[in-house]
Amino acid sequence: MNATIDRDSIKFSDAKLIVGLEVHVQLKTDSKLFCGCSTKFGSDPNTQTCPVCTGMPGTLPVLNQKALALSIKTGLALNCEIARYTKWDRKNYFYPDLPKGYQISQFDKPVCGEGFVEVKVPKSDQPSRKIRLERAHLEEDAGKSIHDESGKGGVSRIDLNRTGTPLLEIVTKPNIRSAEEAKAFLTELKQILEYIAVSDCNMQEGSLRCDANVNLHFEIDGETIATPIVEIKNLNSFRAAERAITHESKRQFKQWKKSGESIHDAPKQTRGWDDSAQCTTPQREKEESADYRYFPDPDLIAVIITDEEIETAKNSLGELPASLRTTLQSEYGLNEYDSAVIVSAGRKMVDYFRALADGSGKDGKPNGKMASNWVGQEIMRYLNEHNATIEDYPVSAETLADLLSRIVGGEVDQTRGKEVLAEMLSSGCDVQSAFDKLGIVKVDSGDLDALCQQLIDENPAVIEEIKGGKLKAVGSLIGKARQINPNVNPGVLREAILKIIGI
Amino acid sequence: MSQSHTSAQKIASLARIELTDEESAKVQSEFDSILEYIHQLDEVEIPDGTEPFFGATESTNAVREDAVVPSFDREEILKNAPDSDGEFYRVPPVL
Amino acid sequence: MSVLDNSIEQLAQQVSSGDVSAAQCVDASIAQIRAQNDSLNVMISDCEDAARERAASIDAKIAAGENAGPLAGVPIAIKDGICTAGHVTTAGSKMLENFAPPYDATIVQRLNDAGAICIGKANLDEFAMGSSTENSFFGVTKNPWSTECVAGGSSGGSAAAVASGIAPASIGSDTGGSIRQPASFCGITGIKPTYGRVSRFGLIAFASSLDQIGPMARSAKDCAILMNVLSGHDVKDSTSARNDVPDFAADCEQDIKRLRLGICRQHFEEGLNEEVKASVEEAIKALESLGAETVEIDLPHTKHAVATYYVVAPCEASSNLSRFDGVRYTSREPAEKLIDMYSQTRKVNFGEEVIRRILLGTYSLSSGYDHELYKKASQVRRLIKNDYDAAFEKVDVIVGPTVPTTAFKIGQHAQDPLAMYLADIYTASANLAGVPGISLPCGFSSDGMPIGLQLQSNMFWESTLLKAAHQYQTQTDWHSKRPQS
Repeated sequence: MNATIDRDSIKFSDAKLIVGLEVHVQLKTDSKLFCGCSTKFGSDPNTQTCPVCTGMPGTLPVLNQKALALSIKTGLALNCEIARYTKWDRKNYFYPDLPKGYQISQFDKPVCGEGFVEVKVPKSDQPSRKIRLERAHLEEDAGKSIHDESGKGGVSRIDLNRTGTPLLEIVTKPNIRSAEEAKAFLTELKQILEYIAVSDCNMQEGSLRCDANVNLHFEIDGETIATPIVEIKNLNSFRAAERAITHESKRQFKQWKKSGESIHDAPKQTRGWDDSAQCTTPQREKEESADYRYFPDPDLIAVIITDEEIETAKNSLGELPASLRTTLQSEYGLNEYDSAVIVSAGRKMVDYFRALADGSGKDGKPNGKMASNWVGQEIMRYLNEHNATIEDYPVSAETLADLLSRIVGGEVDQTRGKEVLAEMLSSGCDVQSAFDKLGIVKVDSGDLDALCQQLIDENPAVIEEIKGGKLKAVGSLIGKARQINPNVNPGVLREAILKIIGI
Repeated sequence: MSQSHTSAQKIASLARIELTDEESAKVQSEFDSILEYIHQLDEVEIPDGTEPFFGATESTNAVREDAVVPSFDREEILKNAPDSDGEFYRVPPVL
Repeated sequence: MSVLDNSIEQLAQQVSSGDVSAAQCVDASIAQIRAQNDSLNVMISDCEDAARERAASIDAKIAAGENAGPLAGVPIAIKDGICTAGHVTTAGSKMLENFAPPYDATIVQRLNDAGAICIGKANLDEFAMGSSTENSFFGVTKNPWSTECVAGGSSGGSAAAVASGIAPASIGSDTGGSIRQPASFCGITGIKPTYGRVSRFGLIAFASSLDQIGPMARSAKDCAILMNVLSGHDVKDSTSARNDVPDFAADCEQDIKRLRLGICRQHFEEGLNEEVKASVEEAIKALESLGAETVEIDLPHTKHAVATYYVVAPCEASSNLSRFDGVRYTSREPAEKLIDMYSQTRKVNFGEEVIRRILLGTYSLSSGYDHELYKKASQVRRLIKNDYDAAFEKVDVIVGPTVPTTAFKIGQHAQDPLAMYLADIYTASANLAGVPGISLPCGFSSDGMPIGLQLQSNMFWESTLLKAAHQYQTQTDWHSKRPQS
């Protein structure tokens, strides 16, 4: 503690928040990392185990090639250096759901080295920032301990189904500056992982888990004072992560004001996030400070990753979310918000959107804005109501593009167009059949001229108003026209009337 | 090495082995002679750039395909357990 | 004379031709266990029922004219640190007193496929940690040549099983000399293959980067026949070698003219018993008379092998033995809280030497204490390997004593773990470097205890070792001496 520092004058806004995240991602393999047991979620306890993953004596691990391939793929998507030589180490600690008494992990030669994720905090005017990654390493998951919650000190029960599931632990540098940014990072990371199909990213099932390391820095008289680092565990949603970091930063500020305790005075502490109480609470310290006694696992041998493997992985990535958002803006004319909405709905939605915009475009120019409106309103609403994904949507992009083209071409207006879509959704028919059912026929130019003349003849007062400069009055003629012929296109009609009366 | 006089008990707790005071005193004295012998390694001249040799094999890339192999019957797995309820292993409370 | 006195080749031939039944082999072996085990404590358990079943099925196969394999009907004792499905596998520890693994070690499967019959599980130092089999929870194995002496260790039961005629061959494992030293003490032949030559799947690990399974038998030729069966890549063991496996038995028949024998000065310095030295020198002359040439070599870092070994092995062991925690398949001591269950279970069910090595390894890996030690030892290990590489530029085989002494008295080193560790002084470096080594009988001390000769070669050159040993055994009869029972 530095006695000379006057803490009273320091405000919360003077504190610089320092956050680093550790994200555990379950990789989407069929079998476990070191044995052939299934990784399926939700099976009966201890039915997906064997002598290897229950750590029986004499058994040995053999690396799952796909887990390694998925790790490489993830590393590339996160702009990481991919190791050419990677190996596995043992992290030793005792816990009943850790069968061997050590976790096979990676210490000094992780599959993925430094990288970054470009993150923009939504609804803020801050420019996007690169969140730097320290590394990402491949390790085995532990099992599940079910403790007696009654407080009566009953036995704990152990299920080893999850033991040995491949995990990629992605570690950021202490490079995140706000709770919002942490949430934005997690959101972007999840989106990338989903796009490259390496994980289910299902937080309820634990296939994406997050811990946050948090402390505060104060610049005082040219000196940086740091509060003790706290690791917050058990962050089971992105919102929880955001709130926990916010809460923890305030708590640390108050604590520091009170005690002045700095990083040099206290070891790293572990706190848990209590979602119902909306606060972090201290977790019981382990018996001794962590001393994992890492050393190279002598049961496994190193892996050399070749240029060809990296090239293959690169080619399998596909276009990533950030690049897609840019494409939707530059090639389809969408704004930042709309492009984000479509990209966040997944690669299939982007594909749908592009097919729709391209298919309904004119003169080689995609119909981006209109397609985006229809996707954002009609399709998203339907998917929400039906709890469905775009793959389940009954109307194909080609069919919907047909409809949009006809709207653009003036065969039908937007309002009637939506009726057409509703008809296609309910009966599964194509655009022309829906037109026929709804009695939509294109009004030809002869009919249109006759209709205009009729309106002009029957509504002299309105025509006078229009001629007098009150163009809005055309609206009342359009209403009348649609009573006569519902297929008439309001825009086309309006132009025709104005032309005839010479405006 | 005098370090070991204060460490046997801590090391034992890290290794999850209970030692009485008497036992730890004995371990400490044995440690002293063993460690003294082992620390002859301090005198070995290690040329710069000597890579540690961790395993007796330096071949690489032993991997398997991602294929599910049927798991063992739960009964077979739990059979050797000192305490189980037929579904789970059971252990005394963690806290 | 027992059917088991035949060489393995002869025995398997007799069984395959129907002259001797597999059942007779099992009878003879079981009878020998009954006769010897009370006094020698060689076997922790026998596999009598399973063995008789196996024998019946082999005899039926032969009666039906089928090929029953190169080891048809040969009874084999297996070190009890190697898993046998459905049969209790203790590793010599109270911790695994009741552990019946639901899987066979890969080598057990290979032996079964070759027609061999596992006759029982041989005693060992607990978790293979020791040089005398005094550290077994199931009591000390006595040396068939003198019951006052140890059989050596850790594969003491496997060595004594062969020496006492219980089985013509046995399987041991060698981490720092655990096949070669008891082979030397019991007057039999035993080979530690190249690291990776034989699958470790199913071998209860002591120190994974050093452990290697190998055969023990009365002759080099018998060992070679077993090596043909045991060797080869195993997909279940990532460290298993993908090298081709030669026909070791056929290679035994080649001569050793112009074989370059390396004599390492460090193996003949202080601490070497004079009688052992004399026998080894005599054996070198015999090899020279077969056409081998001797060359002086230097292995400057082998003097640090024991110190290196006693860092590396305990480090790996401390981690390998963490799984014995009272949760899934071990014995358990009752306790109110988990942490007490752990520390009680591990205190009560591990023996003193195992605890000593776990603590030593934990200490050496711990960031708070001596974590530089493991790295330093691993660098010295590299220098030891480099020494071998340089030596094998000049010679084909390194020859010397297996152990500085003959078998010592039971209890002799009980108060001095370090003195016991020094029994590994000539053997541990082969494990550190990964090279193969064989021990074969080359004489007797004045008090009638066997003396062992060690040959070491470059990685995957077992054929050369077996050939040299076999050729030596065609000229000498030390290997055919039997203790009086």
